[in-house]
Amino acid sequence: MKSSQRLALLFLLPSFLFIALFSLFPIIESLRLSFYRMILTLPWLGQKIVGWENYSDLLTDPVALASTRTTLIFIGVTIPLELFFGLGMALVLNEAFRGRGLLRAVVLIPWAIPTVVASQMWRFIFNDRYGLVNFVLFGADTSRYLAPLADPHLALAAIIIAEIWKTTPFAALIILAGLQSIPDDLYEAASVDGATPWQKFRHVTLPLLKPALLLALLFRTIDSLRVFDLVYVMTQGGPADATNVLQFYGYKKTFGEGMIGYGSAIAVTVFFMSLLLALAYLRAFKASRVQGQAP
Amino acid sequence: MSIGKTIPGVLGFLLGLHCAVVHAQTTELRFVTWRSEAPQVWNQGIADFERQNPGVKVVSEIGPQSSTQLHDLLAQKLKNRDTRLDVFVMDVIWPAEFASAGWALPLDRYFTAAERQQFLKAPIQANQYRGEIFGVPLFIDAGMLYYRKDLLEKHRLPPPRTWPDLVEAAKTVLAREQDPGLVGFSAQFKQYEGLVCNMMEYILGNGGALWDENRMTSALDRPAALAAMRFVRDRIIGEIAHRGVLAYEEPESLALFTEGRAIFHRNWPYAWTVANDRERSKIAGKIGMAPLPGFSPGRGVATLGGWQLGISRFSTQPDLAWRFAAFMSGKEMQKRVALAAGRAPTRIALYDDPQIKKKVPQLTSFLPTFKQAVPRPTTPVYVPLSNIMQRYFSSVLALPDTDIDARAAWAARDMNRVLDLLRDRQTP
Repeated sequence: MKSSQRLALLFLLPSFLFIALFSLFPIIESLRLSFYRMILTLPWLGQKIVGWENYSDLLTDPVALASTRTTLIFIGVTIPLELFFGLGMALVLNEAFRGRGLLRAVVLIPWAIPTVVASQMWRFIFNDRYGLVNFVLFGADTSRYLAPLADPHLALAAIIIAEIWKTTPFAALIILAGLQSIPDDLYEAASVDGATPWQKFRHVTLPLLKPALLLALLFRTIDSLRVFDLVYVMTQGGPADATNVLQFYGYKKTFGEGMIGYGSAIAVTVFFMSLLLALAYLRAFKASRVQGQAP
Repeated sequence: MSIGKTIPGVLGFLLGLHCAVVHAQTTELRFVTWRSEAPQVWNQGIADFERQNPGVKVVSEIGPQSSTQLHDLLAQKLKNRDTRLDVFVMDVIWPAEFASAGWALPLDRYFTAAERQQFLKAPIQANQYRGEIFGVPLFIDAGMLYYRKDLLEKHRLPPPRTWPDLVEAAKTVLAREQDPGLVGFSAQFKQYEGLVCNMMEYILGNGGALWDENRMTSALDRPAALAAMRFVRDRIIGEIAHRGVLAYEEPESLALFTEGRAIFHRNWPYAWTVANDRERSKIAGKIGMAPLPGFSPGRGVATLGGWQLGISRFSTQPDLAWRFAAFMSGKEMQKRVALAAGRAPTRIALYDDPQIKKKVPQLTSFLPTFKQAVPRPTTPVYVPLSNIMQRYFSSVLALPDTDIDARAAWAARDMNRVLDLLRDRQTP
């Protein structure tokens, strides 16, 4: 028993070292730096411990607060829509029909394209002179063409649309896996009891799909909290800071302005936001599993 | 943080591995640059340098075209003390920051005072910080006004000398042409560094300033700057320029002009060459170029731009790096780039060069404008200041109902907080 335990530990060691080096170390380092005032371009100020100052500055920084609001709007709109469309896609892909294998592969394409490439593509689609969106809406009447990326309200919407397009397939994939784990005899039993398709969906599919939905929710929320590439390529945070999401603001502070302490505080805040969300979801996830097993 | 450190590290490692295998015998010089507007000339220059220096291989890494994005890439490499970086291009606003951070190598022992005499004064000053020099100027930029000569002549209008005249002229042409695809003005109003260049021209042209360099306080909340902001918001954006300009950098705004869809256009000197190239422009031969208007005739202000070559302090081969920088900024290379891309040289002698006078006459005739171009203030905290200004300018222009005074007060307070960081510096 003991030697097998030791062997197990030995097998775990490489991945532990890998995680420690590439995840744990940067997280701890960011946490440490967030308590310093450290400005790269002003080295004579030195590296001074300032305690919670960066965090208290963050709470009173109107740009950071606006940026948090933008991020929350982004999450609040993208996640429900992604899950809704993802569920629809998964239900279709779960049916047996010709070419299903092909369609399952095709549907994944948006998710497989590197985000930077997809962002460039969406930047062209939303272009104010030759963008596809304008062409579809107004055809050759160029005088009515919109400039979505130049309008503070439309710019965020444009990024939200690009994100939904890009990541819905991922949600669909997880939900599809959940659908496939529902045993057929439950549906047969429901049919025997005379359930309509809607009743089957409402009382069989949905409750049993809860763990998969929660899992998709967890992954997608954490991921969209860290949205960066779309903003970097499509708008650089503008116009009027309308797309200045938290991660992009943190990036600008750290790499653009060289405010290492303050930038780290932003990164750590985003980290703890996703950690809290993850813990909350995991609790809900466990609860749903227990419920699901009870009957 | 984690991505910033690991990805370049891994990439650099792989690249290093690859290069170690492929070119075991050669010395590599690593050069971070943008894609030149005259790539053939640029690459030919690099090849010539390699031929003159046997055993040296210049490895170019092409970075983003946007100054802001290139800055962040370089800052990341230099912050990590990346030794696989020798020479890099520097925007005119970076030398102070790169010097203060200890990223750029002081070039005084290479770039002698006598040699500096050969250059225009403004770009040399922009490369100096606390008595040392950190870059060698490649070419100089100054904001210029471009206009459709054919349209102005057709409607018997002179090139405007003030901004209000420009607005009136644009409105007259638009009213008479009745072309729904035509706009009055295109320039760079996206939330990025170019927005600061553009807005500075209105603010300084109206007698204002970005910040007071003696008192080290923001000047954006003063009347001259506020009036200039109001003018751009109320008379230009959405009036003679369509709102799409709020997402335009140089290429997009120039494309609108070269497609024949804008009457007036603000850009750097290279735009003349592009707009007169029949392959790239529908309006070749139909354009004029003039100094930017002011708010009274002859009081226009052009922002000084331009690029330099800097050497990393972490380079293991500074002598070779300097040889390369000196070559690329030398008379021959500057001349070739001027002839091919219309980039204004930084070496004074080239403005008397017969070939340049003949082939790119717009450069020689606007030498006085280049000489008068106003630099953005030199400071190691330029980036945070610029981000605050970009946020303020973009908010006012993109949200027409904003209270300019309140926004300006807010921006000024933020700028003062950053400027205060410089106050307690003790002179070494």
